[in-house]
Amino acid sequence: MTVPGALQRLLVIVVFAAALPCRGEEAISGRWEGTTHIPDDDLNVIVDLAQENGTWVGSIIIPGLDVKGVPLTDITVKASAVNFSVKGTLGIQLKLQLDGSGKLTGSFEQAGNRALTTLQKTGPSQVEYPPRNTPVAKELEGEWKGDYQMLGYTRHVSIKFTNRGPDGAAAEFVIVGRRTNNLPVDLVTQEGDLLSVDSHEIGISFEGRLRDGKLGGAIRQGAIETPLVLERAK
Amino acid sequence: MNGSQIGVLLASLCAMAAVNAQSMFRGDATHSGRYAGPAPRQFHRVKWKFPTGDRVISSPVFKDSVVYFGGDDGNVYAVDAETGRQIWKRVTNGPVPATPAIVDGTLYVGSYDGKFYALDARTGALKWKITTEGERRFEAKGLHGLQPKNQTIADPFDVFLSSPVVVNGSVYFGSGDGNLYALDSATGDLRWKFKTGDVVHASPAFADGVLFFGSWDSYFYAVDATTGKEKWRFHAGEDPLVHNQVGFQSSPAVANGVVYTGCRDANLYALDAATGKEKWRFFNDLSWVITSPAVADGKVFFATSDSSLYHVVDANSGKPVIRQQGKAYMFSSPAIVGDVVFIGVLNGTLEARDAKTGELLWDFQVDTSKQNKGWVLTADRKFNVPFLYHSNWREAPIVANDQQIRIGGVFSSPLVVNGVVYFGSADGFLYALE
Repeated sequence: MTVPGALQRLLVIVVFAAALPCRGEEAISGRWEGTTHIPDDDLNVIVDLAQENGTWVGSIIIPGLDVKGVPLTDITVKASAVNFSVKGTLGIQLKLQLDGSGKLTGSFEQAGNRALTTLQKTGPSQVEYPPRNTPVAKELEGEWKGDYQMLGYTRHVSIKFTNRGPDGAAAEFVIVGRRTNNLPVDLVTQEGDLLSVDSHEIGISFEGRLRDGKLGGAIRQGAIETPLVLERAK
Repeated sequence: MNGSQIGVLLASLCAMAAVNAQSMFRGDATHSGRYAGPAPRQFHRVKWKFPTGDRVISSPVFKDSVVYFGGDDGNVYAVDAETGRQIWKRVTNGPVPATPAIVDGTLYVGSYDGKFYALDARTGALKWKITTEGERRFEAKGLHGLQPKNQTIADPFDVFLSSPVVVNGSVYFGSGDGNLYALDSATGDLRWKFKTGDVVHASPAFADGVLFFGSWDSYFYAVDATTGKEKWRFHAGEDPLVHNQVGFQSSPAVANGVVYTGCRDANLYALDAATGKEKWRFFNDLSWVITSPAVADGKVFFATSDSSLYHVVDANSGKPVIRQQGKAYMFSSPAIVGDVVFIGVLNGTLEARDAKTGELLWDFQVDTSKQNKGWVLTADRKFNVPFLYHSNWREAPIVANDQQIRIGGVFSSPLVVNGVVYFGSADGFLYALE
């Protein structure tokens, strides 16, 4: 059976068009390096983007902002357009377009400010993955309580650990000062007998060891560190 | 003399008193922060701006059509209030982030060179100078949680020097050497000095023969102005961990037997002037009160740093009357002129607010703030804190602080004379707005 010429051309177009997004997406995987021009300053920006099981993952390095291997979130790739956010308190968003010369250009947005960014592919992607939660020892499961002093008054702390199988442990981390603060915990690890609970978003962490039935260590808020001993909640 | 002549004479005397009340930090020896004269409820134009070599933290004062102020470039300036032309400058060997006092033709001011100067207000010629035990900024190990915690770090937010108060032939001022000094205003001879436990960069207020001032040692003092003997002391909050919530940087105001002062422990205090007993305190959720409060019509006007709040509270009870959310930290002290309150903001703006409602009437943003170099500010003029203070290692926070200040922060307390608003900015200019 002979396919008429017009239909043949249409098929070619459809097949080619279907392939375009895939080729665009392939083109977007990799390590991208370039510069963001903010007033009176240039920021070096290094972005790693990759596809894993049909999902986009990525991380970013901005040496001038103390950002290294920070995960990207809300990554969308549509044809030649790439948009993503940078996890954390900086609130950075990039909206980029792959241009004809193979460069990603677009805007770097932060706190309502916007600057031009141009990135060039320099090699295969080197996406960094955030550390994963580990399980905690059985005797640490449950709720622990204690108090500490900071900036002139007492705060009450409660941390509750729950093991979740392959997802490692979860922790509910609450600090009660003048207000009750439920901290968003993004990392719980136990290495040997050293236990760590981190809320990177808030900049507060606890690190301690179980000794004589008490979880003794220190709480860190930014660079301020103060001792904290937690006892099992009654 | 007929009735109308008496009226004219009284009006002239009132006008003279008002003008006299513009020649010292916060207007007068009690630091009321209230000034006479018309206040612009609308902004029309920049009348002039006067360039200096570095930031202007000092507040301007006015005497006989001349505006005087200090510059961080080390100069003391006299500028024609009408034209903005320099009349004279006198160089010292250190920054002058203090507000001069002009009394009987003499200008008094201290410098970071550790000296205190008396200059001829007309020519800038030196009348006398004395050397203190030396200036320094407040410092502490692990200050504000900076690393490393065992390293002593000078406080970049300790921006002011103590401004002198001149009363009854004596000039009084605090020093980074921890002393409050009393000098003979004619000769500079030391009458007495009073030692505290740390830096004194707040300015003393004077009322009924007593000087009131706070020190970075966490105490607020009342000292007999004649003898230098302590009458009482009040202990405010301490913060041995990171030394963030401690010390008096705010200068007090005295009204109706009550002393009002801000503190870095986040409180505004009202203390009985006779006994030092606390009447009330207004807590500001860990946010410093650096502004020197202004007192008028039974109300106290002040603002906060990190929480960036403009407050008016009842002078008797401390109960809130007005609370307005500002955009950035306020270190500048409010000036009350008629029904308008003027205050500087560290994002490089001067604000004019209605005294009764607190509503913003107008604001003026300096050019460096508009340029927003290095994205120091967010698009809505707040400090871009996570972008700026992304590291607490080495000099990064100090550099960030410097960037923050260079946006054109208005630390200076505004002065309003004949409807013209004068203030300094960290962009290096003294502004005259009308």
